Amino acid sequence: MFGFEAIIAHDGVGISVIGISIVFVGLVLLSFAVSRIHKLIELWDKKNTSYQRVKKSQQKDQKTLSVSDLTVPQDVRRASRQFKLLIEWMGEPFPLPKLLDLSRKCGLSSPHSTINEFIKCKLIIPDENGYYIWNKQLEEKRSST
Amino acid sequence: MENLLIEFLSNTGFALADYRNIIMILVGIIIIYLGVAKQYEPLLLVPIGFGMLIGNIPVIKDFGLGIYESGSFLNYVYYGVTHDIYPPLIFLGIGALTDFSTMLARPVLMLLGAAAQIGIFTTFLGALAIGFPPNEAASIGIIGGADGPTAIFLTAMLAPRLIGPIAVAAYSYMALVPVIQPPIMRLLTTRKERLIRMEEPREVSKKEKIIFPIVGFLLCCFLAPAALPLLGMLFFGNLLKECVVVERLAKTARTSLIDIVTILLGVTVGASTQADVFLTRQSIGIFALGAFSFAIATASGVIFAKIMNLFLQKKINPLIGAAGVSAVPNSARVVQMVGQKEDPTNFLLMHAMAPNISGVIGSAIAAAILWSFMSL
Repeated sequence: MFGFEAIIAHDGVGISVIGISIVFVGLVLLSFAVSRIHKLIELWDKKNTSYQRVKKSQQKDQKTLSVSDLTVPQDVRRASRQFKLLIEWMGEPFPLPKLLDLSRKCGLSSPHSTINEFIKCKLIIPDENGYYIWNKQLEEKRSST
Repeated sequence: MENLLIEFLSNTGFALADYRNIIMILVGIIIIYLGVAKQYEPLLLVPIGFGMLIGNIPVIKDFGLGIYESGSFLNYVYYGVTHDIYPPLIFLGIGALTDFSTMLARPVLMLLGAAAQIGIFTTFLGALAIGFPPNEAASIGIIGGADGPTAIFLTAMLAPRLIGPIAVAAYSYMALVPVIQPPIMRLLTTRKERLIRMEEPREVSKKEKIIFPIVGFLLCCFLAPAALPLLGMLFFGNLLKECVVVERLAKTARTSLIDIVTILLGVTVGASTQADVFLTRQSIGIFALGAFSFAIATASGVIFAKIMNLFLQKKINPLIGAAGVSAVPNSARVVQMVGQKEDPTNFLLMHAMAPNISGVIGSAIAAAILWSFMSL
């Protein structure tokens, strides 16, 4: 068999058309994928950078928190004197529920939120045994400024 | 004693040779000459040419000397050709040698590598039309991919008896790229088009270069799994090169390994062209179709580049379309040469490398498709 007859008999046109189409599809897909790679890398790098930036700012926040003795609100400072007296009377280390209970009995205003504020600004810190202590160092630093 | 001498003389090559051996030896010498004096792909043509000399020394049959006689040295080495061992190893070396940066910088140029594969399928139709069975027609068509290892890979699968003529045709035309392509390129382009300057490719990051072989491999092999041996090795070789941490392996792949395999492949492919197997009417047909395939592939690349220019804002020099016919890096060099004839300050080489490399990928996919279709 020769000529067009042979091509038709062996489905030559079909094979050629499908064949070249698959080659094109393959390289078009690859070309598309390749054109996206650098954009994805850029995106990934950006994500990493912004993550690091957030992390850095968090660390910065923590740092400022550690010296937050300088920015303890006035009302908390005032309350701290009263609470300090209570803690001295209770003795250190002390359990938080006992401090809360005692402050209620003494009629101190909003003891729950005040104790929370103390913990936030690290005026009261955990002693790693489930009790709490009064942060004298922080208080000294604060009074020196 | 006289009988012994007569018997010995009757077994010498002088007594056994016929005119076909002499023709093939002359062809071998011409191929060595082209490799040495003209430096057309010397790394391939010198081993192939010498292999032709080896294969065409007339020897007594069943003496265990010929490449087609089982147990002979050449037959053992030829095993790597007939069982598709050498082509993937060559691809490994090519992968470890090739820098994909320009292709990654401007991926749209990969389409030129696809366009050039039109030559494969057109020649497949031509071979069917002149009476070759489909499996042989597919093997002949792949010559247009201008990729020797791919041509051997597919022929070993589909038409092992044609390995000799197809491999020699593929490598000869690859070597003759500087002769075949320029007239076609000039014919299909205007001077204005040949003068087009292309913009500098962007810088490609190391991360991109490392990710590409993995993405490329997965994508291509999911699409055409039959390309696994060739593309698997190509992308693996490239990953070795780009990831830097296995420099020793990459160096071996791109130097010693590819050199050893090229020697074995070249010599055995050359030796497989024994006159009685090679000098047939079919071989003439294969050579004629191979040239046709090459011409069509070159023309398709150039024309497709011109079509792309209709849609692209930043025009591309259509000459680089001719580099879509694999033949790394010869056809890219030809693009550079033709471009510089018009404007000596226009450097197209690195731009031409993009379609050139995508042509390698494209021809491997085309081979996989043809193999799949013929196996169905």
